[in-house]
Parts: sequence; structure tokens; C-alpha cells
Amino acid sequence: MRIIIEIIRDHIRYRKQILKLAKSDLVKTYKGAALGWSWSVLKPAVTIGIYYFAFAVGLRRNAPIAGYPFFLYLLCGLVPWFYMSAMFTGGAKVIRKYGYLVTKVRFPVSVIPTFASLSQLATNIFITILMLIVFLIYGQRPDIYWLQIPFYMALSFFFFTSWSLFAGLVSVVSKDFMHLVESVVMFLFWTAGIFYDVSGIKNITLRKIMMFNPVSIIVNGYRDALINKMWFWERMDWLRNYVILLGLMLILAMWAYKKLIKTIPDML
Amino acid sequence: MDERPIAIQLKNVSKTYALFTSERQRAKTILLGRKPAVIQRATNNFSLTIYNGESVAFFGPNGAGKSTLLKMITGVAYPTEGSIRVNGRVSALLELQAGFDGEMTGRENIFFRGEILGVPQKEIKALEKEIIDFSELGQYIDQPVRTYSSGMKARLGFAINASVKPDILIVDEALSVGDSRFSAKCQKKINEVLGNGATFLFVTHSVQQAKAFCKRGVVMHRGTVLFDGPVEDAAAFYQKMIGKK
Repeated sequence: MRIIIEIIRDHIRYRKQILKLAKSDLVKTYKGAALGWSWSVLKPAVTIGIYYFAFAVGLRRNAPIAGYPFFLYLLCGLVPWFYMSAMFTGGAKVIRKYGYLVTKVRFPVSVIPTFASLSQLATNIFITILMLIVFLIYGQRPDIYWLQIPFYMALSFFFFTSWSLFAGLVSVVSKDFMHLVESVVMFLFWTAGIFYDVSGIKNITLRKIMMFNPVSIIVNGYRDALINKMWFWERMDWLRNYVILLGLMLILAMWAYKKLIKTIPDML
Repeated sequence: MDERPIAIQLKNVSKTYALFTSERQRAKTILLGRKPAVIQRATNNFSLTIYNGESVAFFGPNGAGKSTLLKMITGVAYPTEGSIRVNGRVSALLELQAGFDGEMTGRENIFFRGEILGVPQKEIKALEKEIIDFSELGQYIDQPVRTYSSGMKARLGFAINASVKPDILIVDEALSVGDSRFSAKCQKKINEVLGNGATFLFVTHSVQQAKAFCKRGVVMHRGTVLFDGPVEDAAAFYQKMIGKK
């Protein structure tokens, strides 16, 4: 409990710095490249293009899903994934990356994942808006269900920021953890139902397990908002899984924080 | 002299570093909470009181615990035992990197550093020119810090840290890279900072610099205080000590 208060207090005290640091993290990512900011769109666009080619052209899986063009269905899965994928590996590296904030100046460690995550989220908000524009181009009309997008984005943000605090701390102690994360990410990506509907898996046990994938939860949320036209309270099973996962992640983050906060500066 | 308010008080501070024979052992020990195999003591039952406005030089051979001590006072390392009380805003130049972000330019780092230290944007803006002039970086100020030499980094680091009006200014070895003219400039700056009522802590291997910058000297060896007194006496003690070996 003391730790939670300490972390919240640090966040309140450093709220201005969090925004400034998020901004400088963002600026730094695209600075020094001739194409600069365009990369924030080009990189995801290339990835989307590759998967679209592989599935629509290669595997000829271009049939509309639930009456929606496969391309839109794919976008709903990949666009939130870009943030999550950046957070899985980038989030685990963040305290190493900002090591000088730990060892050279007095700065609250718990704040580092937060501003790095905000910086990623800002990029993601931008491409999410582009995704919605694509929906409009395809002739979709915005409706009240679209308002759920910020909600699912917030769920994603809270979960992955907690993850980043936990993973960022642990990976300072153990490089093996870093490698483990990198290999698990691929697994989570392909089992998340980015290319298919997890709710449609026939084997009940398998489906129930797959619904505990945080990526599936968020991707499904995006599809509910944009394609299935369902409210989040109509999806209590997904929401329950999210709450369980977030709780678990918070406990892990607190555990890592308590255990490592005083030894981390000696190891960076 | 004990009438002055206390700036820093260390009581029975011990700091140990656990050493591991392998990465695997390290991860296991820290995450599962086992006892480490080898423990290295950096400071041992160390007590010291520093008053407001004092300038203190720390002497000692490599591994005496000087840097560890300054890190603990800055708040970027934690004591294993004992307590540390620090009153006021600490501005520290620890080793050469000085907490710069290598990808950002010198100018951006001035503002970045200010934000981290919690100095209002306006104040930094007012200090910007003074810092750039002092650091003598000229046009380099708009180049990424990763391209700087160690001397350039030290100059900029010192200029920022001394200019943000700290209550406690800490400099660890960083000034040994400057030439004698720059050293004289630093001395002026330090006197200015001290004139504002700040406290100055300094680690160096150069006895001359220590004498020029500080009034009090502390000689450390294996994590304890061997001598504490006027800087001339401390310097003489230190030179005798390393001369003997």
C-alpha cells in the first residue's frame, strides 16, 4: 500500500515533467531522419501492406467478415497492435534506455514507463485517426459506438504501462527476461485473433484460454466499436478477463518495484 | 560553527554492493531474495555532518567510497544501513555523462535538465545564455551531445548545474578535464554559488584544485573517514598517505 501511494505521489509531483518528457521522447524518435514524422505513418503502413498482401493476395482470404471488407477488419486488429507491440519490447527496455535518469539525477523511476508509454500512445492516437479516415473512405458512417475507441485505448494504456513498469525493472536484473519477452510476443501476436475472430474458435477450453490474451481483449474491443456494433457492457466476459489481467499486472509491478527500486541504480 | 543549519547529515551509513559470479546467480539472488555470495563494502559505518555554506573536498584513493557517498547524498543510490538527511535542492554532476541525453542537442539538454530538476521554464530561459557562454561551446550547442568530447560535456554539465541555483552543488571528478583557465572560471562560479548560501561538495584527485575550491577536507579510506579538517591539513594528510604506499 505504501508503494502505491509513493508511485501515485511521484506521478502527481512530476505531472508536468511527464508530459514534457513524453514529448521529448516522441520528438527524439523521429528526429535526425530526413523523412522525420512521416515514419510514424510509413512504418505501420508498410506492415499493414505486407499482411494484407499475404492474406488477401497470397492466401486469397479477402472475403468480407461480418459484412465488412477484410481490409477494415485487418486494420482494427493491427492498429491497436502497433502500440501494444511497441510496449511489449520497448516497454521492457525503457528503464535501461533511460538509465541516466536513474543513476545520474534524482528522478522517480516509476514515472519513466509512464512518459515513454504516453509517447507511444500519442503516435498510436495519430494512426488511429488515420484508420477512422480510411473507414470513412470505405463509406462507413461514424456512430455512437465509435466513442468506445478512446475507452479501449485507455484500457490498453493502463495495462501496458503497468507491464512496462514490471518488465522494465525486471529486465535490468535479467537479460534473459528480455529474450523471453521477445519470443513470447510473436506467440501473443498470432494467437490474438488479429487475423481471425477468437470468439469463433470451436474448442471451448482453447477459446477461453485465448480470451485471456490482453491483445485479443483490446483488438476485440476495437472490432466491437467499429464492426460488431456492441457496447463493452455487453461483453462482460472480456471485461472480466481484462480486470483480472490488469490486477495481476499491477501486483507484479508493485512486487518488482518493492524488490528492486533500491538495487536498480547499482546495476545500470 | 555548529550554529549554522545542517545541510547534510549522515548517520552510521553503510553501503554494500553484492558481487556475483554470473548473471544467472545475480538474477536468482535478487529476484528470489537469497543472500549474495560476495559482499563488497563501499562505505562502512560512515557519519558526517555538513553545514550550510560549507565547501568540502573529499580525498581518497580509488575505491575509498567517495563516489558512492556523493551518489547517496544525491539520492541516486541507497544506503544499506544508516540514515541520510539532505536539506535543499541537490544539483549533481556525477561522473562525466552528467545525465545528458546524447540524442538531444546541448541547448535541448539545458531545458531537459531544468525540467528534471524542477526549475521553471522561465528561469531556465533566463539562464540559457549565461550557461552557453560559460560552457564556451559556441555553435556546438546545437549539435547532439553524443558528438561532444568529454571536456565539452563536463563544461556544459558544470555550467548547467552551477547555474540553476542549487542549495547543494555536487561535482564528482568532472572538472579534472578542463584547462587551468577554465578551472579559474569554475572557481569564480563556485564562489558565486557559495556566496548565495549554497553548499559545495567536491571529489577530485587534484590537491591543487581541492585547495582552490574548498575550505574543508575529508580524507576517506575503505569507506571510513580518516581525517576531517581544514583543506590544507587534509591535503597534506592525503599526500602523506598515498606517498607511503
